[in-house]
Amino acid sequence: MGERVRGISVGSLAWRIAATVLGIGLLLNGSLRMSDDVWPFGPMSQYAFSPRSDTIIVITRVEGLLADGRRLDLPLRVETAGISRAEIEARIPEITANPSLLRSVADGWRSRHAAEPALLRVWLVQDQTRLVDGRIGPTRLVELASWELPS
Amino acid sequence: MRTLRSVVSWFTPVIPESRVAVLRTVLYLFVIIDIHLFVRDPIPLSRHPELYQPLLLERLLRLPPPSVPLTVTLYLILMVGCLVAAANVLPRLAGGVVAAAFTWWTAIGMSYGKVDHDHLALIVALWVLPTVGVIADRWRSMERSAQAGWALRCIQISVIFTYFLSALTKIRSGGWSVTSWPESSILLWAIVRRPHGLGQFLVPYPELLHIMQWCSFTAELTAVIVLWLRGRALLAAAVFWMGFHVFTVAILYIHFAPTAICWLAFAPLERLGPWLRRVKARRRQRTGRRAAGHPVPVFRDHTVDSGG
Repeated sequence: MGERVRGISVGSLAWRIAATVLGIGLLLNGSLRMSDDVWPFGPMSQYAFSPRSDTIIVITRVEGLLADGRRLDLPLRVETAGISRAEIEARIPEITANPSLLRSVADGWRSRHAAEPALLRVWLVQDQTRLVDGRIGPTRLVELASWELPS
Repeated sequence: MRTLRSVVSWFTPVIPESRVAVLRTVLYLFVIIDIHLFVRDPIPLSRHPELYQPLLLERLLRLPPPSVPLTVTLYLILMVGCLVAAANVLPRLAGGVVAAAFTWWTAIGMSYGKVDHDHLALIVALWVLPTVGVIADRWRSMERSAQAGWALRCIQISVIFTYFLSALTKIRSGGWSVTSWPESSILLWAIVRRPHGLGQFLVPYPELLHIMQWCSFTAELTAVIVLWLRGRALLAAAVFWMGFHVFTVAILYIHFAPTAICWLAFAPLERLGPWLRRVKARRRQRTGRRAAGHPVPVFRDHTVDSGG
């Protein structure tokens, strides 16, 4: 099979090889010098950092207080909150400065849980687990921001 | 001169175009899966303009900020474009539209703080596949070309570079040190943060986690060799990396499906069409014999596939 060979001009070969070399150059430059901002040529930085053996591992969550007094975890998934944990984590400084940004999570949760009692207040919290000599140590809960929903 | 010629033919090997035709079908259908399972959040994210942080690409091209009508339109364009392109119809037009729309779609998904790195090979594939142009007879094509070879080579390079560049990034982020990442607590950190997979069972064994980090780092750093492997060695490398992806899914629920699917650029997909035709012909012969009620000769493998 495949006996016939389609022709290709020198120009065609040249732009293809130039494009490949340019692409490889952009990728190397992105990985060695740039940040995520230059996606898709940015560094492959997922899980690429080096936490120390005494680091603090942080899980960011959003908790909500319902009108019936229950305080529960509002899952940070696109399906349930309209936004994911990573997106919230990337915005922690903005959210602590302006807690009303938690509105997106509250709105996302409310629109998917219309039958539940009203949501009164939401908190941005973190479970902080300390590593001790590369092994899991104690965990504590830290409150970063809270926002009362307008009634 | 000979060196130049061998460099040129390495970048543009002459390869059956039917391989590109099959790969188009698989990858364009995969994009439909991708926008529903993996980069599935552009529409819900576009409801939060306050969280939008455009990437350099979006700023350079002055792309409008995402809105629900915009992301829904992109979604519809992708659905129609992928179905047309998967059929190898209007490959340049449909393929070009899908490449641009999916790049934008994925860029939107990465513009709310979190940037993933599993889409490089797929995005490169979508940009290079249309350049092969019309493939006469599609899956049945009997033609070979350097155009097809270049497209496949680009996809292969981007698959392998996804691994190699991640090793470089680990060296860079560890302060240009080769040992800091493999000796770090990264896997423990990842397991604590994603406490769903089998990784839970590895938490008491940090030394084992370090060994796993050394193995994956070494594999990533040396992945470039794969570009020069052939035959069984290439198959072994592909099996190793598929195993690697299954492993990360099992312990961390992290999959690299858009990269893994692009490994097909290494596979002799041109054999799929003839194989399917043989299977169909055999089935036809079997049912034909039953209908006729008397024996007919059963041909061996090579009968239907006239191309060999």
